[in-house]
Amino acid sequence: MSETVHSNPAASEPTEPKAARRAVPVWLLVLLFLLIYWGFIYFDQRSGWCSPVVYGPYHSAEEVDLYQYKVEGPDPANGRAAFEKYCSLCHNTDGAGKPGQAPPLAGSEWVNAAGVNRLIRIPVLGLTGQIEVNGKPYDFPAGMTPIAASREAIPDKDLSDILTYVRQAWGNKGAPVTLEQVKAIRDEVANRSTQLTVKELKELPETK
Amino acid sequence: MNYGPLVFLAAFFALATSWVGFVLGPQLQVGQFQPTNTVPTRADYPVARPGLARQGLDVYRANGCAYCHSQQVGQTGTVCDVSLGEAGTNQAALTAVILKLRPDWSETQAKEALGSLPKAVLQSVSLAQAQAAVKELAVGGAKASVWVVPVGPDIGRAWGKRRSVAEDFLYDYPVMPGSLRVGPDLANVGARLPDANWAFRHLYAAQIDAKGSVMPRYPYLFEQRKIDHSPSPEALTSLQQFAPPSGYEVVPTEEARALVAYLFSLRADAPLYVAPLTVASAPATDTNAAAGTTPTNAPAK
Repeated sequence: MSETVHSNPAASEPTEPKAARRAVPVWLLVLLFLLIYWGFIYFDQRSGWCSPVVYGPYHSAEEVDLYQYKVEGPDPANGRAAFEKYCSLCHNTDGAGKPGQAPPLAGSEWVNAAGVNRLIRIPVLGLTGQIEVNGKPYDFPAGMTPIAASREAIPDKDLSDILTYVRQAWGNKGAPVTLEQVKAIRDEVANRSTQLTVKELKELPETK
Repeated sequence: MNYGPLVFLAAFFALATSWVGFVLGPQLQVGQFQPTNTVPTRADYPVARPGLARQGLDVYRANGCAYCHSQQVGQTGTVCDVSLGEAGTNQAALTAVILKLRPDWSETQAKEALGSLPKAVLQSVSLAQAQAAVKELAVGGAKASVWVVPVGPDIGRAWGKRRSVAEDFLYDYPVMPGSLRVGPDLANVGARLPDANWAFRHLYAAQIDAKGSVMPRYPYLFEQRKIDHSPSPEALTSLQQFAPPSGYEVVPTEEARALVAYLFSLRADAPLYVAPLTVASAPATDTNAAAGTTPTNAPAK
């Protein structure tokens, strides 16, 4: 080892390499473009656009919706769920009513009536006065609250489902209540804000 | 390093992209999840695990169960069955419709099917085919319905009825979906465990009921103690070669009880909007049946 090498080690080595500019090959650009194109198509077809309701093997929210439980016309299963949410607090889940709160629905002549012109008005307007059900008089000081007073509270579809359920459960044998019937009566009484009285109810025709 | 800023920007861009993809994206997608409802019975879902089962989750975690057991059921597709509910009045017309739908059936078979309603007339067909069949049956005067049936290898192994979804894990912390399947998937183990004693015995020594199982024993979740006066009603039975010496009994500790309560609480098969599945027909008239738990007119398999 000589002194000169130690003092200047870089003298005999090549200079440090430097990166220079060089054009990107055209084929690489084309390949990248094709990959991105394929990636977007794949995303569009399979991702459901990151919707939280889309899990594999479904590809889109529309496809998930196709497989949903659907029933043509009034759906007593949905009616049952809604009844248990809104009505069963007073009328009980078995439709027997509760002492001091509400009369029974099971076997009630008001529920099983051939026409539903009277029945639909009761949840929409509420009811006050002494009412006779199954031969027994019921009178509650505050009457029934108009639980379905607005379409925001209970939409027409839910109300027709509830009433259909009530007319078909617990041994009741009434015909289904259609969406059109509910809609017509709600439109008719839209401007009324007072409770229906039993006297008025009796004066109404059963069918319209 | 004459391109220092460029290298920095490239590295920053790469890290930022993966952060957006793996952290921010999932957070935006499922971070705000709220409890949902089952469809169509509208029961609350998920239900928080009861106290002992919640403690069992910690035992499950502490013993590393998730290293060998997954808790996620996969689903590769969804098929439909057509279930015939009511035959209506015109039997001859309906038989003709059924024979058209099922060319492989003889007329006797079609009539037999009508005699044993509700009956699955078509199985494992696409949604469009099923809906078309329901319409044709309706023309024949019958009432039929489409049953949505998820399929896949995991569902074929009876590990679940539908795929696992994020909603299933909403109340679990930490979520332990697992990634290895040395043992079977446990997402629905609560639905198939025979009884608590079986579960305790399985934890004490899995080899008793599952010959050749590689599951380790967890004897420290149990206490072997001397029988005092009379045996405890909680003592494990049928321990075979793992039975304690005469005069001793094996009883589960609080940890084992919590773990078994947790295992029984593992059940993710409720039908949800995001994971459609038909479990029972609409309870139209019979409201005394348990809501949506027992299939009342499941298609005959």
